Amino acid sequence: MNGTAGGLKVEWLAAAPVASTDPQPLALASMVSEAAEPAPEFDFAAAVQENIDALYRGALRMTRKPAEAEDLVQETFLRAYRFRHQFQPGTNFKAWLFKIQTNLYRSRYRKQWNAPQSLDDTEEFYLYQHLGPDAPAGDDPAAEALDELGVEEVKKAIEDLPPAYRAAVLLTDVEGFSYKETAEILDVPVGTVMSRLHRGRQRLQARLYEYAKESGVINEPR
Amino acid sequence: MSPDSGKPACNQAMQRLHQYVDRELTEAEMTEVQLHLEDCPPCEKHFTVHASMKRLVHSKACPENAPQELLDRILSNLRTSR
Repeated sequence: MNGTAGGLKVEWLAAAPVASTDPQPLALASMVSEAAEPAPEFDFAAAVQENIDALYRGALRMTRKPAEAEDLVQETFLRAYRFRHQFQPGTNFKAWLFKIQTNLYRSRYRKQWNAPQSLDDTEEFYLYQHLGPDAPAGDDPAAEALDELGVEEVKKAIEDLPPAYRAAVLLTDVEGFSYKETAEILDVPVGTVMSRLHRGRQRLQARLYEYAKESGVINEPR
Repeated sequence: MSPDSGKPACNQAMQRLHQYVDRELTEAEMTEVQLHLEDCPPCEKHFTVHASMKRLVHSKACPENAPQELLDRILSNLRTSR
């Protein structure tokens, strides 16, 4: 994304301490990158430009509404700037931003986030068994059917997941965060991330199978 | 039911399905699963579907970029809050 950097370099070492009123701890101490070295200054504007698309697409899938997503992203960056002294240079800035945004989302959409949303009762669903379990080696009807699905169907299936499961799938599959990073962003144990991915993906497969049938990508269940 | 459920090797591979697709296993564990998949077409197909699902979500779940106006607004706000 193009835009002007606008001289927003932040002097990390000289950044004045800000009274910590944020209820959520923001430090991600274990996200230290081996390659990164502590930087004497940090180009905050460049970091905004580098991460805004990722934060926006995540916010859009979580809120489902462009205006609310924009507001969430704007507040995330303002809060990140305000609490920039808490970020440890050399650690994963994108993960830190996602933690701020997730905390904001959780506080703004507390009702949705805290609503009963377990997928424990989701029936075990194995897409490949519905689409060509007997196909010869090399043929992959299930994967081919998935490739035929469009953006709208995939977005709809994702947005249909309960927020906590949706967040785990988005952070892992779209943003490529590790289980450990996702766990720190969501403030849950790694085992909870794995469980949410397992159940969330089961639900996704079942939904996408339905959409594939509705859109005619596949005809009849076997 | 899972592919060939009941066979210990299949059960062990299935337990590692998501970690394998997400590359969260050790190298030795990845190799163990890979060797099983080469010998077990039902498990191999199941894993392939999950890998396809992950690619599908990665490529199609979030196609939008942030509006330019949002970036401009944020940078402007940051300038005034310095």
